[in-house]
Amino acid sequence: MEEVELKKSKMPSLKDVINYRDFFGEYPIIFAIKIISSLALIYVITEFYSYHNPLDSLITKHMKSAVPGFSPDPKIFVIWGFITGFGLYIFTLFRGKYKFLLFILTIIMVGQYLSDPALDWKVGDHVIPARVGEEDAKTWTWKPVKILYDDKEGSEKRLKDVLMRATNLIFGSIPFLGGYGIWKRKGWAIAASIGLAIIIGFLYTPNLCLENFESEYCGYETRLEERSWEDYLSGGIFIGLGLIIYVELSYAAIKYESYAEQFKPAGLDDSLLTSAQKKGVSRTLMTLFVSYLINLGVMLLITFTVAQIVVNINDYLSTTDGRIQDSIELQGPYGIVFTSLIFFMLLGFIRMFIGADYETDEN
Amino acid sequence: MWSKKAAAVAGGALFLTLAGLIRLNYLFISAGMVMLTFVVLSSFLDVWMPSVKIRRETSSDNIFENGDMNVRFIVKNQGLGIGFVEIYDQLPPQARITKGSNYTLLYMRPWQEVSFEYSLKLPLRGHYHLGPVKMRVKDAFDLFYNEKIEESVHSFSVFPQIEVLEEQVITSRAPKLLSGAMPLNVIGAGTEFYSLREFVPGDSLRSVNWKALAKKGKMMVNETVREDVMDVILLIDAREVSAVGGGKDTPLEMSCRAAATYAKQLLDERNNVALMVYGDSIERVDLDRGEHHLFKILTALSSAKPEGNLKLEIVLKDLLPYIPSGSPIILFSSLDDDHTISEAFTNTISRGYTITTVSPSSLDFEERMKRIPSQPLLIARIERDNLISEIRSFGMQIGDWKSDEAVNTALQGG
Repeated sequence: MEEVELKKSKMPSLKDVINYRDFFGEYPIIFAIKIISSLALIYVITEFYSYHNPLDSLITKHMKSAVPGFSPDPKIFVIWGFITGFGLYIFTLFRGKYKFLLFILTIIMVGQYLSDPALDWKVGDHVIPARVGEEDAKTWTWKPVKILYDDKEGSEKRLKDVLMRATNLIFGSIPFLGGYGIWKRKGWAIAASIGLAIIIGFLYTPNLCLENFESEYCGYETRLEERSWEDYLSGGIFIGLGLIIYVELSYAAIKYESYAEQFKPAGLDDSLLTSAQKKGVSRTLMTLFVSYLINLGVMLLITFTVAQIVVNINDYLSTTDGRIQDSIELQGPYGIVFTSLIFFMLLGFIRMFIGADYETDEN
Repeated sequence: MWSKKAAAVAGGALFLTLAGLIRLNYLFISAGMVMLTFVVLSSFLDVWMPSVKIRRETSSDNIFENGDMNVRFIVKNQGLGIGFVEIYDQLPPQARITKGSNYTLLYMRPWQEVSFEYSLKLPLRGHYHLGPVKMRVKDAFDLFYNEKIEESVHSFSVFPQIEVLEEQVITSRAPKLLSGAMPLNVIGAGTEFYSLREFVPGDSLRSVNWKALAKKGKMMVNETVREDVMDVILLIDAREVSAVGGGKDTPLEMSCRAAATYAKQLLDERNNVALMVYGDSIERVDLDRGEHHLFKILTALSSAKPEGNLKLEIVLKDLLPYIPSGSPIILFSSLDDDHTISEAFTNTISRGYTITTVSPSSLDFEERMKRIPSQPLLIARIERDNLISEIRSFGMQIGDWKSDEAVNTALQGG
């Protein structure tokens, strides 16, 4: 029988180019958790910026003088910040030389985009007679490449545009780091995105934009009416809950992936597991995640209820005539903190009698 | 206990609240309060600590230096609780994990038995133990955890490495009644060729050397070296000074390796071997033979620690009355910091004993670590050479053993 020689394909297989298994993961449930975490992140950051106009930030005040076109828009940078973080993760999936190739390709593409209006690359006759003007020339040579400076302003415009777009990452760093952290399973990136949200929020002052720039730039002509403190409180409750959902779900993805890792043979992938073993792990993960979601749902509901009770008690005390209302200014930031502290004290008292005991010996 | 995550969330929440107070920002205050409430409410969740039974299955009870030990860690949940449990099997600091991990994150169902495996390597002799086991259970949100130490300990010994010796190391002048494999340098029944002599009536025809008959034209017979059982005493210097160097490169480690190798060969040849380790006091494993005795010797070698400063003269004065007359003594010592060596040798030899010395040179370690300047090091080398020459002048065999040489060559310098 004639031996059939198998020819090795010159095309590299997809798995040699990109580690796509890392993207989908070994278990669909973990992939689903990552998607849910990403949605939670986008929701939280969108909600966050609906209360924090980036134009009223201290960052904008200083950046505007450095980059004239600086105009952060949450509708753009939230989603694009996330996409950039996700894109960075996808980039890390490429293997060895392909990663380098992609990097070079990106540089070339950006370079080409910026230089395109300024440089006129003549497309036409590439081969010309060796001596221009010579009749019946038999030897031909390559036409020397000439770069014609054409529309320099066009390039400068594009450069400014790119720079302006890049500055969006200042505010978009929260979804950027969050997106990267969730998909790359990096706890530090998730923590950093939360930290940045707090810092950016801290640098916000209502109507700061109007104090420094024209109303045309700020997008509003008159100073916004201060929202009522109830509006802010309920907004804060949703942002707080959103932050918890984001933190919990993104860390859950890391936690469950670590759990699934236990079943891998050391240094190898899951392909050595039997389908029954894989199904077993998948089933356990599903059970765990569902019970975790129930736990989280119940906990968030309780937290929301408690927060509403505190706000309502504070509202009641601050609006009802009496000795408390007369003696303490409850209808203000200190009032809500004071009411909350009383509530925490009550919870602490209850905690003395209910819940887990952490003394190891007794356990 | 609070986890890092709980501390971070609570810290962030407090920062938000305080920042809200400073900037008079309701949004910050309420978001911070919500996060703080979540943390406080989570502390109400019961962190279940499992009641477990732990056992380990190991590939061998004891290993040799650089040998692998496979450990299968089996944990059985004996309670009804369920949840994630982090398990960390504590290892000796010298251990290196070659396969698997001694840490695992498990999800345990009631009465479930789970196992994981790992392999470890230990480069240094000694007595070690695996465990105790640290267990950590966290709540659903990883905010609070509970830790427990399970006193499940598995003890094992790492014996000094044994090398294969290519030739006999010592001979004795004191034959025993039982025949063995140790050549005594006297003519007798054995397998090793000693000399040729003329045939006399009564000689067995099996001992006739037919080649010599063809050559010389007369009957010649082979004479062999008498092989017999001996009582051999292995004497190890485990004084504090024997710890010069570091890790595996110390005179004591080398001595233990050589002693284990010699003991193995001597016991394989059906000799009686005793081990004596001196340092702070004298530890003894009395004369005996067999596989079980080798185990005893290896265990004693694993226990040898560098401490004390007993001088050789005192040690031998103390021991000689208990050592059978004429038995060979093999001394493993760097011969450092002991001014009684010459006297000790003189006294011992005069009482009819032979001392073979295997001397790992501690100066090589000092030189490698560059702790001694070149001039004093040169003087120390001269002093050591003089001492070795003096011992040789007694007619005793001594091997100046370099650190990177095999046990086989330990006596070749002698």
